[in-house]
Amino acid sequence: MADRRRVNGPVGATIPPVFEDEDVQVQATQRTTRSRAPNGIRKMYLKTGVTPSASGSAYLEIETSGKDGVSGLKLSCTVHGPRSLPRLSPFSPHIILSTHVKFAPFATKQRRGYLRDPSERDLGTHLEAALRGAIIADRWPKSGVDIIISIIEGDQGRETSGAQGDDTWDMMNALSGCITVASAALADAGIDCVDTVAGGVAALVRGSGENDTARIVIDPIPSEHERIEAACCIAYLPARDEITNLWFKGDMPDHDMGIYSELVQQGIQASKLANRVLVESLGETVK
Amino acid sequence: MATSAPQTALAIPGQLLGSASKYQPGPGTHIHESNLYSSLLGAVHVVQPAKAPGPVKRLTKITPAASPAELPTISVSRSGVSEKREILPEVGNTVLCRVVRIMPRQAVVAILICGDTVLDAEWQGLIRVQDVRATEKDRVKIYESFRPGDIVRAEVISLGDQASYYLSTARNELGVIMATSEAGNTMYPVSWKEYRDPETGLGEPRKVAKPY
Repeated sequence: MADRRRVNGPVGATIPPVFEDEDVQVQATQRTTRSRAPNGIRKMYLKTGVTPSASGSAYLEIETSGKDGVSGLKLSCTVHGPRSLPRLSPFSPHIILSTHVKFAPFATKQRRGYLRDPSERDLGTHLEAALRGAIIADRWPKSGVDIIISIIEGDQGRETSGAQGDDTWDMMNALSGCITVASAALADAGIDCVDTVAGGVAALVRGSGENDTARIVIDPIPSEHERIEAACCIAYLPARDEITNLWFKGDMPDHDMGIYSELVQQGIQASKLANRVLVESLGETVK
Repeated sequence: MATSAPQTALAIPGQLLGSASKYQPGPGTHIHESNLYSSLLGAVHVVQPAKAPGPVKRLTKITPAASPAELPTISVSRSGVSEKREILPEVGNTVLCRVVRIMPRQAVVAILICGDTVLDAEWQGLIRVQDVRATEKDRVKIYESFRPGDIVRAEVISLGDQASYYLSTARNELGVIMATSEAGNTMYPVSWKEYRDPETGLGEPRKVAKPY
């Protein structure tokens, strides 16, 4: 990191000091296992209108998995606009979305830079695709809207080493949160949408045993499972029964095609559950 | 979620409001598969159509039979949720704007107020020389119609090009409504094409808006 104008934190993972204690011993030995039902998502907290200077804003927090030292997901989203396009941009008969997703430097174990890296750009592209299907773009000609999400705290276990898991599963959880929080902020900003879009994640996980069969869970926490074989993140419009974005990654057993659609079905289920929180939260904003 | 929404005061985006055969769509709604859905978070309003004033005595012309305007209009407004909502200038709106820059063929203005709403964002407008007035268009000179700093009432005639809306002042009640002289004093209108400085007594040419 050759950025010398800012005070940079240490490069690499930072782990707060953990003192030897009986609780810690117990924690270190036992691996967390999933205590929720396979078709249940974690509790989440969503509030709109948190940033006064923005046209619309929302804050989303997903609870920790119940174990100390495992952080949840904290997202803050602001929507600026609709506002006029930059002078040199061509005429547009519809609204132009621009999405920015940024991890705070301290959000994950591996410290992030101040500039957006490719994975953050990737999240932004996925988010834009998810939202574009929900917005009625031609209500706002010649204007642009900026959707800015800061991931204040990423969803990562502290004591598991960084090399163990693939980052992608965390990114999928982050993306589903981003979609939900951006949808709330768009509704708060008063930008026309056909529906409230929400994100959901489903994963095919396998236990530690040799002869464990793979099963499908929704809203997976990577530290709770021995192995995640495949996962998909879905942005779903419940009233229209439409998927606006689908992100699929992993290795699937190729003899069983039904498991693909089953995974997508479970992802839709997860996003329906998230949408219930979204609808409830939007209902509370009206005074 | 898909209950009969008109009784509930609040709508969220995607909420079913009713059949398109029962209501007319107003602002903040959209039609999908012949049903009306809300597209905004806000309060639902149903406005009954204005009744025709009494029975018509005699038909003097042939009118189309069943006019669709008899349906009540349903709309979703942001009142009660948040006061600040951006609006865009639309074709046909009357706007107030300030002249930024004049050129031989056009005047560049900044749109400040659209209808009754003060705009947050800065939108640029353009009054071309042929849109300044309705008559004697070939003799219009921009510098005899506007000066930088004037406040102008104008009508939006087009969304324009990538940069600016196209505005027109080609009506009596459109034109300059506030102007300062070269000496820096606020002037008063004396005719449809002249403002006068109250202190120096000098007149300056403008495209003057007719006072209400």
